[in-house]
Amino acid sequence: MQLTYLEAIRQGIWEEMDRDPTVFCLGEDIGIYGGAFKVTDGFIDRFGPERVIDTPIAESAIVGAAFGASLTGMRPVAEFQFMDFIGCAFNQISNMVAKTHYLWGAPAPLVLRGPSGGYVHGGPFHSQNPEMWFVHNPGLKVICPAIPYDAKGLIKAAIRDNNPCIFFEHKYLYRRIKGEVPAEDYVVPIGKARVAREGRDLSIITYAAMVHTALEAAEILGKEGIDLEILDLRTVSPLDREAIVQTVKKTNKVVILHEHSRTGGMAGEIAAIINEEAFDDLDGPIVRIAGLDSAIPFSPPQEHHYLPKVEDVVREARRLKAY
Amino acid sequence: MGNNKKKSKASSNGNRPRNGARASKAHVAADAFVRPSAERSSTNQNNSNSDLRTYSIPDYRLEHPDFTVRQHVEKDRQGQERVRYEVEGDLDAPVPPIRDSKYLNKQQAIEIYRYMLLNRKMEIALENLYKQGKVVGGVYFGLGQEACSCASAYALDKDDWFAPMIRNQGSLLVRGFGASDTMMQYMAKAGSPTKGRDGTSHFGDIEKRNMVSPISMLGDLIPVMAGVALGARLQGRNLAVMTYIGDGGQSTGVTYEGINFAAVQNLGLVLFVESNLWAYSTPSEMQYRCKDLAERAIGYGIPGVIVDGTDACQVYDAAHEAVERAHRGEGPTLIEAKMMRMKGHAIHDAASYVPKAMFDFWKRRDPIARFENYLVKEKKWLTPKENQDLPTEVERIIEEEREIAVNSPMPTPESAEGGVFCEDGCHEIKPKYGMPKVKKGTGGFKETEAAVHLK
Repeated sequence: MQLTYLEAIRQGIWEEMDRDPTVFCLGEDIGIYGGAFKVTDGFIDRFGPERVIDTPIAESAIVGAAFGASLTGMRPVAEFQFMDFIGCAFNQISNMVAKTHYLWGAPAPLVLRGPSGGYVHGGPFHSQNPEMWFVHNPGLKVICPAIPYDAKGLIKAAIRDNNPCIFFEHKYLYRRIKGEVPAEDYVVPIGKARVAREGRDLSIITYAAMVHTALEAAEILGKEGIDLEILDLRTVSPLDREAIVQTVKKTNKVVILHEHSRTGGMAGEIAAIINEEAFDDLDGPIVRIAGLDSAIPFSPPQEHHYLPKVEDVVREARRLKAY
Repeated sequence: MGNNKKKSKASSNGNRPRNGARASKAHVAADAFVRPSAERSSTNQNNSNSDLRTYSIPDYRLEHPDFTVRQHVEKDRQGQERVRYEVEGDLDAPVPPIRDSKYLNKQQAIEIYRYMLLNRKMEIALENLYKQGKVVGGVYFGLGQEACSCASAYALDKDDWFAPMIRNQGSLLVRGFGASDTMMQYMAKAGSPTKGRDGTSHFGDIEKRNMVSPISMLGDLIPVMAGVALGARLQGRNLAVMTYIGDGGQSTGVTYEGINFAAVQNLGLVLFVESNLWAYSTPSEMQYRCKDLAERAIGYGIPGVIVDGTDACQVYDAAHEAVERAHRGEGPTLIEAKMMRMKGHAIHDAASYVPKAMFDFWKRRDPIARFENYLVKEKKWLTPKENQDLPTEVERIIEEEREIAVNSPMPTPESAEGGVFCEDGCHEIKPKYGMPKVKKGTGGFKETEAAVHLK
C-alpha cells in the first residue's frame, strides 16, 4: 500500500503498541491532540491515557522518565515536539542514558523520536538536524530514514532494539513523500545502508531528505551521461562502513551530502572511514556538500541559501566527474 | 528490610485535581502528613489580607537551629583584606533528645544503628586505603549523614527502588551491597560492580537490589526514579522510589522537572533533600532564598516535611510514611533532612572555609553518638556489653570486606572495550513485575490526516 512517510511512522508505532504491551508513548501534546505533527493521532483512544502520556514541557523529565521506565523492562517511545528541543535533555541522554550499559550493565530499550530538518522555513529553533550531537556519544543508535518503507521498518526495529535509539524524522518528508509499504509485519535492520540508486560514475553518500535531493540531481545528470550511485545510510550510528567502502570501490569518486553544518559534520567522519579503508580506490578528492556553518536562518531566501540544493549536487558532481 | 506490607493496587494515570480541589482528608489523617492544602485565613484582622492562604510543613525536629552564614571581609595579620565565611546565631544550644519513633521496634532500631556503624567504619577504612595509596582519585564521605542514609533506605520494601547520591554509601549497605563493593569501586578494581569502569557509589543493580546508578550530574536521578515508578505502575505495582539531592544539587533545573513530573503523574517518589549546609564550599544561603527547602513541596503540590537528619528515628518515620503513601498510590513526598556535612567535599578538601563553631555545633549532634546514647541509656535496648560487642563485630566485617577488595585484581587494559551496547542476547528485556494488562479502545486503526500527501 502507498503511505506517506508520516503515516508509515504512525503505523509502525501503532503496530508495536498493539503487539507489545510494554511499549508506551510519552511526550508533549501527544494525547488528545495527537502530537504537533499528528504522529500519535488516535493513539489515546485506542491505547488509553496510561500508555499515551501527555507530559509537562520538560524534556529532561521526559527522557529521564523514559529511561527509568525502561529499567523496569518497559519500551518507552518518547516524542520531542521538534528535535531542536532534544538539546534541553542533552545531559540526561549523554551522561545518563548513553553510558548506562557500558558503565553498569543496564540495558535501556527506549526510543527518542521527533521531527528534524529544514526546508519548511521553521527558523533556527525548528529546523535543525542535531544528529551529530549524538553520533559522538557512544551507546546511542541514531536513525535517519528517507522513505516510508524504511521509516516504518526502522521505527519498529528501534522499538524492539535493546538500546537507546534516537529516531530523526525529517519533517519536510512527512507528507511530501509517499511510497510502497507492505501490509505485513517487517523490520529494517538498524546499521544497514541501502543503495537508493545504482550507478557507475560517482557515489553520493547521504541520508534523510538529502536522498531525495540526490535523486533529483541524478535525473538531471543522467541526461548528461553522468550516472550517480546514491547510498542512503539510513542509520548514522552505527555507520554501515562496509556499504560505504563498497560504493567507493565501485565508482571511485565520492560526494558526501548532508543537511547540517559542514564543520564537525557526518561528512568528515565518512571521509575518514574512506581514507582508512578505501584510500587506494579513490580517483578524485572527497567532496562535501553541507549546510553553512551558522544557525539555520528563518527567511526563505536565506534558508534556501543555507541548505544544500539539487543544483549544488549537480555542480559538484560535474566537477568531480571531470576530475 | 524494615517492614513488610501488602501489595497495593496500582492507581491509574490520569487527571488528578490540584491541591485543595479535592481534599483527601482520609489520607491526611492516615498519613500524619498534612497535605499542603490551601486554607483561607478568616481570622485575620486586616481586610486586605482576608484572602491570604496558609500552608503547613510538618517539622518533626525537637530543635530549630537558627544561624546564618555570610561572607565577611576581615584583615589578616599583614593587614590584607580577606573574604571569609562567618556564622551568626545560637551555636551553644543544648543537644535535643532523640524523638521516639512511631514505628521502629527494638530490633529494627538496633539494626539501623548497626548499619550506621558499618557506614562510618567503612568510610574510615576507605580513608585509610586512600592514605595507603590504594584508592584511585578521591574519597567522598557521609560523615554526619549516616542516620539519613541508613534510616531512609531501611524504610524501603524489597521491591522498592532507590538511587543514592555520593554521600549515601550507607544506603547501599542497607540495601544489601557489601562494603567491598564500594571499596572496590574506589580502588577501580576488576571485581567492582562496574568492573573498573566507574568509581565511588556509581553503580546499580536492576535485578536484585533495585538500584539505579547515580551519575555525577545532580538532579538527573529524580525524573529517572519517577520513570521507574511509572514503569512499575504500568505493570500494576505502586512502588516507592527513593533518591536524594543536596541543598546544592536541588538548584538544578532537572530537579524541578523531575519532582514536577512525579507530582503531575502522582508517582511514588520519596525525595530526601539532604540540607547539609555546604555544597562543596558554598553555603546554603547562596543556593536558595526560602527558609526551608521543604517549602518547595508547596509549589509542587506535594507533601513536604522537615526532619532532623541526625536523628535516625525522625528520618525513618518520615521515610516510612512517605513509602506507605507511595505504596498506596498517593504520589511523591519531599523530605528535608537537616544536618551538616562533617568533612570537606572530598578527601582533598579540608573544609577550612567552614566556621569552626559550626563544626562544633554539629559534632555535638553526631548521629551515631546520639543514637548510641538513646539505645543504651534511654531505651536500654542495648546492654553495655552488647554495645561493646557491636562495633567489634562491625569492624570484623569491614576488615573481611577490605581484604576482599584489596585482593581483587586491577582490570586488564583490554577490558575497557566492549559492552557499549546491549547486543547478542546479553540481556533479556522483560517487564519486571509482569506483563502490563492493556485495555484497548474500540477505535481500530484508521488513516488520519497523517496520510495526507502534499505533492
